[in-house]
Amino acid sequence: MTAVLTAEAVRVGPDLEAWLAVGGGGGLRRALAEPEAIIPVIEAAGLRGLGGAGFPTHRKWAAVAAQPRPAKGGKWVICNGNEDEPGTFKDRFLLSETPHQVIEGALIGALAVGASTIVLYVNPREAAAVRVLKQAAQAWAKHSLLAECAAFLGSPLRLDVVEGSGLYVGGEETAAVASVMGGFPFPSLKPPFPAEAGVNGAPTLLNNVETFAHVPHILREGAEWYRALGLGAAVGTKLYSLSGDVLRPGLHEMPMGTSLRQLVFAHGGGMLAQKAFKAVFTGGPSNTLLTAADLDVALDFDSLRERGSRLGTGAMIVVGEGTSILRKTAEYVAFFAANSCGQCPPCKIGTHQVARILERIENGAGRPGDLEALENLSKMLPGSGRCGLLDGAATVLSSSLHAFRAEYEAALARQSSGQVNLGAA
Amino acid sequence: MTAGIPLAQALANWRACAPAEPRPCGLPVAELLRGFHPDQRPGAMVPLLVGISAGQRAPAELAALLQADSLVDDIDLAGAPLLEADVLVIGGGGAGCVAALTAARAGARVLLVTKLRIGDSNTVMAEGGIQAAVGEDDSLQRHFEDTLRAGHFLADKSLVAALVSDGPAAIRWLIQEGMSFDLADEGRRMGGTLLRKKPGGASAARLLSYRDFTGLELMRALREAVLLQPGITLLDRHPALELLSDDRGRCAGAALHDLARGRTVLARAGATVLATGGSGRLHLLGFPTSNHYGATADGLVLAYRLGAPLREVDSFQFHPTGMAWPGHLEGQLVSESARSSGAMLVNGLGQRFVEELQPRDVVAAAILREIAEGRGILRDGRAGVFLDTPTLERGKPGILAGSLVTLSHLAHRAGIDPASEPFLIRPTLHYQNGGLVIDPAGRTPVPGLLAAGEVTGGLHGSNRMMGNALLELVAFGRRAGEAAILDARVERPRNVGLTHLADWRRALTVQGLPLSRKAPMIFPPYGNFNAATDRGKAA
Repeated sequence: MTAVLTAEAVRVGPDLEAWLAVGGGGGLRRALAEPEAIIPVIEAAGLRGLGGAGFPTHRKWAAVAAQPRPAKGGKWVICNGNEDEPGTFKDRFLLSETPHQVIEGALIGALAVGASTIVLYVNPREAAAVRVLKQAAQAWAKHSLLAECAAFLGSPLRLDVVEGSGLYVGGEETAAVASVMGGFPFPSLKPPFPAEAGVNGAPTLLNNVETFAHVPHILREGAEWYRALGLGAAVGTKLYSLSGDVLRPGLHEMPMGTSLRQLVFAHGGGMLAQKAFKAVFTGGPSNTLLTAADLDVALDFDSLRERGSRLGTGAMIVVGEGTSILRKTAEYVAFFAANSCGQCPPCKIGTHQVARILERIENGAGRPGDLEALENLSKMLPGSGRCGLLDGAATVLSSSLHAFRAEYEAALARQSSGQVNLGAA
Repeated sequence: MTAGIPLAQALANWRACAPAEPRPCGLPVAELLRGFHPDQRPGAMVPLLVGISAGQRAPAELAALLQADSLVDDIDLAGAPLLEADVLVIGGGGAGCVAALTAARAGARVLLVTKLRIGDSNTVMAEGGIQAAVGEDDSLQRHFEDTLRAGHFLADKSLVAALVSDGPAAIRWLIQEGMSFDLADEGRRMGGTLLRKKPGGASAARLLSYRDFTGLELMRALREAVLLQPGITLLDRHPALELLSDDRGRCAGAALHDLARGRTVLARAGATVLATGGSGRLHLLGFPTSNHYGATADGLVLAYRLGAPLREVDSFQFHPTGMAWPGHLEGQLVSESARSSGAMLVNGLGQRFVEELQPRDVVAAAILREIAEGRGILRDGRAGVFLDTPTLERGKPGILAGSLVTLSHLAHRAGIDPASEPFLIRPTLHYQNGGLVIDPAGRTPVPGLLAAGEVTGGLHGSNRMMGNALLELVAFGRRAGEAAILDARVERPRNVGLTHLADWRRALTVQGLPLSRKAPMIFPPYGNFNAATDRGKAA
């Protein structure tokens, strides 16, 4: 067990002095000492966006840093803690148990890009995280380290906790920007990316809570140390949110690139009730399902992409024999339909239609032709929304339909014309 | 237990002594119960290892079911037809019918589902009567105190207060539903005064009855009311296999098994009322039972798995006068109204050994003591004591034919003449004193899950008074029905499924308990129908 973000020592809650006592602040001091080294160190460490995209962090930082500083208001940093997707529960842990490493990471980010406002953007439904984060932010505001940062930047540095809308779509980066500006979290077309024109048109650096949490450790311990934490070509550690039909669900911090088998059978305690392993919904859950053939795949961005899937947020929803893929898919598509912001007609109507068809199959009222309709929709819909929500819903639908078509057919057969189901349970 | 006095000699003793002289008990009540009540037998109870009430004790047969795995899996729900209602009532006995009627009259769409048919329940077995403090010489306070005392002060006072306060209104409601009661002045066509008898353990005459089939008459009225009530959809032969939960642990209905079509059906509801009755058909501690075929603790098992706590599940009522002979009628109830009308209990030596109108646990323990100490009567290898109906008939001629109708019918089935020959009786497993924890509105601590009737605990402490069960099902059926419609109107459940089962299976695995054992039992194993393996077959 390689615990960096979740190590017992760093779980200090809102107590800033306790964080500084276990080596906190070291990364920030190094950043203040050699500010020009921040982005190169991040680049050397190979840190990537851990909110799901896996985009190289240093490129984002360099892009914001390269933008001219607006005359009024300065640049912005948003620490994205909107986390609301089914099966993901890492950010709420980091924010409520170890908020200071996240804040320190965001401060280092602000130094690197020259921002004068940091927004800690959180899901208001995570009441504990909001409470702890507010206390933690207040502790920083009074501390001399923050004043040192402001002195370095040559302008006051604000550290705000902003409660988002509590809507899933608010986690999308342009939606987060809209939300921070006080509006409804409508995603917008990219480009322009927030790095060019974010909050109030100012260049804005936006990273996930987990990404920022790694930053102080990287600056303090060095890029080499961070790279060595990963397995194979992957670097660092990753928080996997393990749930579903395993004996020990929960948050597991493991080397990036740990195999699915290792995660489920060694750390997760194996399958619940010794049921056979069937599949895993990863990330959003908006990605291609992993099946038994993928048990030995390394859980990192590149290995999963090669398999045609994605790591996403690191959520692993394990499905065993006895749990219905159809019901899970219907649940997730219904989630996406309920959380479509409604801007793009194909998304608003498409997710709703898919959810409706899945619901009727699930509830014993499916019709002949429903599976073909689902297949058509899953081919037709992707790419027609401003953000990835619609694509995610279509991906999870088409991959579950592709890999587990028999389950869909069995559910349809079970209900046809009130026929008696003799024998099979 | 085979030691005893042969029938012929016992009959001779009985004839020589009749009417029998009382023999002093010679044991304080507490010692009598400790020594001879079946609940108190060493090793009778085992502690529960998993679930919210882990650490509490329960009979081994019940504990095995409470700590078993589910009959269904998530995948069984895919493609299952869906029924939706505001209020789902599980159980078609008295409490279920009262709750369904109450909710439907308040405007809810009600789905009433039963394992067998409506009215197939222990309610129809209740013979003695229903308690309610309606007499001038009686009061709610006395009813309250009698109930607490009979339950050895273990009952929840707020529940008992609710029960006794509802008593008079419950009787008025039953009369309005069309139930008949015995009247003190039988000849009158209109009006009249309710006939009151004194139940065992009571300080006033408070027992209202209809002949010796009060429960059957009550159920008749309820059944007709349910069948005529708009807004209730009744599904017979749909046992509940599992409760449904949503992702916040709220109860969201149940997975049912449609026996006629052999398939799973989902019933989704904003609120669910469990009225599944007791557990006598588990034959706890090896006793015969007076209970209906359906009394297999299904409701306890399902609710416990969903996180509803239990109380006093180590306490059961053994009715003093179950049939001991002949074998095919073993455990069948001989009405308490025989004793409240004055019939005596007589041992093989022709002695009265107990004051017959004491609480049931005391009388049952006294009978078991006579048998254990060799003063019982043996007939075809079965031991019991006499219920002296011939002496009763001599004292009150015509009582057997006039008011103890069920008893005479039972005697006919046993092939004896109750006017000349006493019944051979022995205590029989009768009632589950404990059960699900509820509040006075009938809500369990699990949101969206309510309960009423024998499946609940807290009203009877460790011993129930006769006549309080019928009152309970009316009082708490109405309370649960009223609360259910309020609960159904708060937020709707979301992501409905079997979320709770994953945690339950984790807990079983961690404790090393087998996942191969499935529950609820649904049907007792007499008929070789195995609910776990025969579920796909049409019944």
